[in-house]
Amino acid sequence: MKDLQEILMDGGRGFSGITPEEISAARHCMEFAISSGASQARVSVSKNVLNSVQLLNGEVDKVSRNADRSLYMHLFVDGRYGTYSTNRFCAGGTEAFILKAIERTRLLAPDNCRKLPDPSRYARNAITGREPGLYDCSYEGISPEDRISAALSGAIFGKTGKDGGYGIISEECEYSDSIDDCYMTDSQGFEGRHTETSFSFWSELTIRDNKGDRYSGYWWTASPHRDRIRIRECSPAALSEAAAQIGAARREGGRFTMVVDSRCSSRLAAPLLNALNGSAIQQKNSFLEGSAGQKIFPDELTISDRPWRKGQAGARLFDTEGAATAETDIIRNGRVEMYFINTYYSGMLGIPPTVDGPSIPVIRPFISRSLAGGLEYEENDINLQTILEAAGEGILVTGFNGGNYNRATGYFSYGVEGFFFKNGKIAAPVKEMLITGDMVSLWKSVIAAGADAREGTRWQIPTLAFGNVDFSG
Amino acid sequence: MNQEDFFNIFRTDRAQMEQAVSAGLSSGGDWCDLYFEYTIYNDLLLKDGEVNDGSYNEDFGVGIRVLDGEKTGYAYSESTGLKDMLAAARAASSIAGGRGRQERIPAIETGRGRTGRSSVMEKGIRPDGIGNPEAGGYMDKRLHQDLYPVVRTWDKEDHGKFLPLLKRIDASVRSKDGSVVKVMVHLADYQSYIMMFNSMGELTADSRPMCSITVTAVFSRNGKTENGTASWSHRFGADMISEEVADRLACKVVEGMDARFDARRPKGGEMPVVMGAGASGILLHEAMGHAFEADFNRKGQSIFSGKIGRRICSPGISIADDGTLPGNRGALNFDDEGVPGQKTYMVEDGILSSYLHDRISASFFGVSPTGNGRRESFRFNPIPRMRSTYMESGDADPDDIIASVRHGIYVDEFSNGQVRIGEGDFTFYVKSGYLIENGRLTAPVKDINVIGNGPEALSRITAVGNDLRIDEGTWTCGKEQNVPVSVGIPTVLVSSLVVGGE
Repeated sequence: MKDLQEILMDGGRGFSGITPEEISAARHCMEFAISSGASQARVSVSKNVLNSVQLLNGEVDKVSRNADRSLYMHLFVDGRYGTYSTNRFCAGGTEAFILKAIERTRLLAPDNCRKLPDPSRYARNAITGREPGLYDCSYEGISPEDRISAALSGAIFGKTGKDGGYGIISEECEYSDSIDDCYMTDSQGFEGRHTETSFSFWSELTIRDNKGDRYSGYWWTASPHRDRIRIRECSPAALSEAAAQIGAARREGGRFTMVVDSRCSSRLAAPLLNALNGSAIQQKNSFLEGSAGQKIFPDELTISDRPWRKGQAGARLFDTEGAATAETDIIRNGRVEMYFINTYYSGMLGIPPTVDGPSIPVIRPFISRSLAGGLEYEENDINLQTILEAAGEGILVTGFNGGNYNRATGYFSYGVEGFFFKNGKIAAPVKEMLITGDMVSLWKSVIAAGADAREGTRWQIPTLAFGNVDFSG
Repeated sequence: MNQEDFFNIFRTDRAQMEQAVSAGLSSGGDWCDLYFEYTIYNDLLLKDGEVNDGSYNEDFGVGIRVLDGEKTGYAYSESTGLKDMLAAARAASSIAGGRGRQERIPAIETGRGRTGRSSVMEKGIRPDGIGNPEAGGYMDKRLHQDLYPVVRTWDKEDHGKFLPLLKRIDASVRSKDGSVVKVMVHLADYQSYIMMFNSMGELTADSRPMCSITVTAVFSRNGKTENGTASWSHRFGADMISEEVADRLACKVVEGMDARFDARRPKGGEMPVVMGAGASGILLHEAMGHAFEADFNRKGQSIFSGKIGRRICSPGISIADDGTLPGNRGALNFDDEGVPGQKTYMVEDGILSSYLHDRISASFFGVSPTGNGRRESFRFNPIPRMRSTYMESGDADPDDIIASVRHGIYVDEFSNGQVRIGEGDFTFYVKSGYLIENGRLTAPVKDINVIGNGPEALSRITAVGNDLRIDEGTWTCGKEQNVPVSVGIPTVLVSSLVVGGE
């Protein structure tokens, strides 16, 4: 078996992923579990390498190189179920671990709904792991020096002028790249593999204005593909973010149109999608319980799952139990089309299984008739500026600072920061404001969605606009 | 456990560790340390009346860190074989840029900062510290007090015996409130064996238990749904889990549910806020505590940068971060750099007296490490982190504090919060609380936020109760890495904060 530390030493260069020996070992673990008393078993091996270079004020501050390999097992024993993992992946030791796992499973209460998926639901096309197009072969040629160069290329500390009424106190940046390789097999014959690379860079700048007040700004770029990250844009963007907040103040509260920038709009999409999760539904801890098939949201709202978008972060052919993913609508024209139901919750709720969760949720761009005022917009042309102009006046949210929502009721309260806008243009920065409401009402009031979701994010949530949102400050 | 026990767990010995440290310093660098970890996690989950889900996971490895000034090189290995450790050490050594070994070692507990390097040198220790006859290692010094002694470690426990306890909680919750529709009870425990070795030749070991029980219940009344959660977490062994603990959790999860169903959002605005003793200490952790962490101050990012020795709040207010509370979730015999657990005052009588340091920041500021160098696991390098953070008791009667407010909010518990370190701005979500009207708690409130600025809020504290309580909940701090912490506060009056409401 290839020595992981050789990979480490090589800084990831030449990473060959999961080896045939490791695949054989996984199969052996599954067979050993079955021969030792498990009625069904799912085994996966995961291997990943992460390299990162962190800069502080333009100088290398931290270099790390990490390699992991783990074995995960889902065991079904006498109608009982347990999950187990170890990173002590060696012959002999693994068998003792499996025997212990079987013994532990037998402690638990039987549960008839625990079983492997119906084999007809399995993905059969995840052979090499590279089918979703998330593997960038240039990864193999990256040297430690390349990583340091990439990191340094993004720093601006000491390279900017002192005009603008502020000075940079500190700049932190990090370049990182990683490769993840996962192989999964089960006792019903499923075999699947998923391999992906990831490249990212982020920058955070802290500045101090003439009054001595500090402001920070953050920007990032990420992609499965090395040539698609835009390192040099991050620090200038982070600096702009920080500088734009100078003079930010609380505004008097009231009801405003709220536009939420695509950098943070997933914060509002997550409660909606999480509420459709089978676990939340079955545990009656969802504000969308009973919503399947119901028209709840505006006609214009369509949220789809697009797991087969080749080369896009989040693409996958199978879910965590091997079930094939599908291109599907989650909410279509305001109607809830599906819950995320795995085999277990299918049994518990008595409804057909789907997948365990969204892969690449995408919101169809639109501007509502009330906002469009008779103008026609091409879907792909809708972006932040278009929406601001259509909305005219309101508050643009560029970040959330704290807050939460109640999973059962959907009531929320979030701290927000951003800008007051008027006549479609940014007028003044705002801070220390809160939005309150409930998730269902909020999403009923969605009046626009852009075509500008950020590249490199798994959830493709674009700029959103909501009408009549309650702000307090 | 003795030294040999730890050597056996990690299948290594002092000679091999010395070789790894030498490899770590082979390209230069001032400091090298090894962090060995073997952690065994157990989980049992009761859902729908049965304990039908469980897991067992183990994690094993060694993290190797090389410091060159304040710069860090880090790598880890999931094997502690010599060959693998040497490979990881050489990878970590790359931070030194191949400039060759330097005649420098870092300041460790000299209190003299950067110049302290020479003070250590004066002792005649080899630059790499290996073979230092004085170092001895904490293994030989023994602890004055083990902060978390256990009868039997969690990895040796028969977990089957906890199933009745989980079912007892389930039954107890259901018996206390007829509107309960779902109950989940989660027992999570782990046992960590930690061994640390550094280029000063210090060998340190720690055996860390942790146990958490979390109970979640969903209630339904007249078509309305609410949920309640209660948790209990300590560095205890199984011998400390009792039916009394189980019954207390069952009571806590249904407690105040009538008020929650009746609770409304109040009219928002700027008003006095009384923070109840205990769990509302999370505000202290988030809004002030992070800004005291020395890495943010070393980088000039914190709102408290450059303010050591200055008054930041009223006399009579003292804020501590304490790793010495026996059995506490944030307790540490040693931090993850081998520095003994200790109690650190960040604010003493209103004066900012110390940041929270790891070895890097302590060296930078020329002070002793405060035992706050912590990490999630061997996969992470240590950074300054809190342990148990609390405000010490004042002299006010909590009832008098409430009685002094004409119109405001009393916060029982915050569920979470967030802070911007540079600006100090924070927002906290109020899980449960009450309106204060004419000095009395009246209508229950929920699902609102309080928003403010950390230093401003500190300066607006006008009364501190005599009832400090450290919360028992399962608090986990997520600054880059997850580490267990605890929070506490006495009843405190902040004269003015923004409360978000209708």
